[in-house]
Amino acid sequence: MKNSTRHYLSIAILLASITAFLGACAPSPSESSSKTSGEESGRKITICLIPKKKGLPYFTSCAAGAQEAAKDLGNVELIYDGPTDGSPDKQASMIEQYTLKGVDVIAVSPNDPDVVAPAMRKARAKGVHVIAWDADAVKDARAFFVNQASAKAIAHGMVDTMANDLGNPSVKTEVAIVTAYLTAANQNIWIEHMKTHMASEHPNLSLVAIKPSDEDQKLAFKVTQDIMKAYPEIKGFFGISSVSFPGAAEAVRQAKKTGQIMVTGLATPNSMKSYVKDGTVKSVVLWNTAELGYLTVQVAEALATGKLTDGASSFDAGKLGEKKIEDDHVLLGDILVFNKDNIDAYDF
Amino acid sequence: MKQRIHHILWQPETFLALLVASLFGLMGQLDPAFIQWHVQRELSTHAWELAIIAIPMTLVILTGGIDLSVGAIMSLTAITLGMLFQSGCPLPLACLAALLAGILCGALNGWFITRMQVHPLIITLATMAAYRGVAEGISRARPVSGFPSSFAWLGQGLWLGIPVAGWLFLGLLVVMLWMMHARSFGTHVYAIGLNSTATRFSGIRVDRMLLAIYTFSGGVSALAAILLVARRNTAKADMGMGMELGVITAVVIGGVSIFGGRGSLLGTCLGILLIHETREFVSWHWNRDELNLLALGALLILSVVFQKLLRHKRATP
Repeated sequence: MKNSTRHYLSIAILLASITAFLGACAPSPSESSSKTSGEESGRKITICLIPKKKGLPYFTSCAAGAQEAAKDLGNVELIYDGPTDGSPDKQASMIEQYTLKGVDVIAVSPNDPDVVAPAMRKARAKGVHVIAWDADAVKDARAFFVNQASAKAIAHGMVDTMANDLGNPSVKTEVAIVTAYLTAANQNIWIEHMKTHMASEHPNLSLVAIKPSDEDQKLAFKVTQDIMKAYPEIKGFFGISSVSFPGAAEAVRQAKKTGQIMVTGLATPNSMKSYVKDGTVKSVVLWNTAELGYLTVQVAEALATGKLTDGASSFDAGKLGEKKIEDDHVLLGDILVFNKDNIDAYDF
Repeated sequence: MKQRIHHILWQPETFLALLVASLFGLMGQLDPAFIQWHVQRELSTHAWELAIIAIPMTLVILTGGIDLSVGAIMSLTAITLGMLFQSGCPLPLACLAALLAGILCGALNGWFITRMQVHPLIITLATMAAYRGVAEGISRARPVSGFPSSFAWLGQGLWLGIPVAGWLFLGLLVVMLWMMHARSFGTHVYAIGLNSTATRFSGIRVDRMLLAIYTFSGGVSALAAILLVARRNTAKADMGMGMELGVITAVVIGGVSIFGGRGSLLGTCLGILLIHETREFVSWHWNRDELNLLALGALLILSVVFQKLLRHKRATP
């Protein structure tokens, strides 16, 4: 008993002495580190790239392109970090933290534009350049939005692809949408454009349901099953996020409806390869995600060095060439459609 | 005298204080910029809601209960506030209604626990789902935004150099410390946690106290929701998601026994500090959100194991 008392006491003393030691040392590294950063701060630009949710293959492929841009530019230090649980509140906290750390540019793909807007405005007020990428933010909370493809192009692309995959049906055909969150700004704009495009160009497609997957593949799987039960005549599913698309495709495959029910939507090619091979999915709509990450870092660097200013109408994005800027949107370009002929050429 | 020093040394709070101190030392060593006052003050805004709810949660756990519905109550009251504001109700009135809604939610929990004799774990698990379900249902997951900037002051502003939410926490803490130490209330709380039947037979109105504590927990959750809405300028049904886990972790790290009857508000405060600093520092220093869960898990294990050893020591002097 006495022994263990001494044992604990020694741990306590050890802890206390470590504390005292560290406390005494603390001021000195602060001096040296501020000195070195002062010398280096000449040209190094710190860019912080925040995805909606860290760990999703879609965002990881964007980050790969962003890393490449950082390497090409040479003067960029890139931080890629985001909430692993996809929480908008966490995202806002991260923006606040990076603002305090004094990074030069924060590029964020907001999960919920309203929740992160105060944090983004605060960052701008403290002199940090803030841009949105992948999904737009509240307009006055960011300088530019790096837009992968206009909402119209994406929505029309998906509807046209669906009509084409179904063989341009001549009778009423039921289709449904499995979206991300009901509050996701991107998806909601696409859905609006999809509705108007269906009404004007493909009146035979009738939209019977829109269900959220909450960026959870299991839930996407489940709601697709529910829709198939509720609408036995359904012929097509749009999975309009990188999580809901494979979930919907899996549900159709397990229901043994491959070939009878078409699934299309937005996802990274790797996650859809097996479905494209077995015919559950004929086409996958997306944009070049690596180029999106690349362009975002290019825009961020140009903004920090003063090469890009408000009101510019075009932007030279290095190896990507000249990109148009419309209404504060830096446009990456067109959509990319993967099918069984070209999907093996892409690996992300 | 010697015995007294021994007694203080073997308190879990002493161990926690040492842990906090060494953590600050380590952080100062690795990243001096992190421990600057203005950085700490700004980062503290991420923790006040959790800290405020941890106070009633400490009482709840001291009585041997648990309240899993705090996050869901935040969600429901945030939506109450948001939807009333949207329909043109004056903001102070909407806040009052939100507080009232929180108190009602808490009272309902308390009613089930005392009158229906349902175990707190089960009933608050049920109301956690129910309250959040109602919030999602009435808001249809639509966020409410556009609160006036005067409201934002509540969640983002400073008063005498300290965040407003921090003052609220301190005020609440002081009142509760007084209740726990200067009034018989404190003794009764511990008594219920140690042996509620014996306490009941000693003539203490256990049911009335439990009802009050769970109601208090609901009201404070509503207060936290108001602060969160003010801070993020948005009211949404997914607010406070996972809050119950963060709060319970802080209380348990703070040395409050999950079986009731042991622990203190001081310990809870240290637990909050540990959890908050670890969380912020890990993402500050390593820029990796995924490390956060790992660090929190390690912290929880470390603190629980040490406290177990300490308790064993104290039991056999």
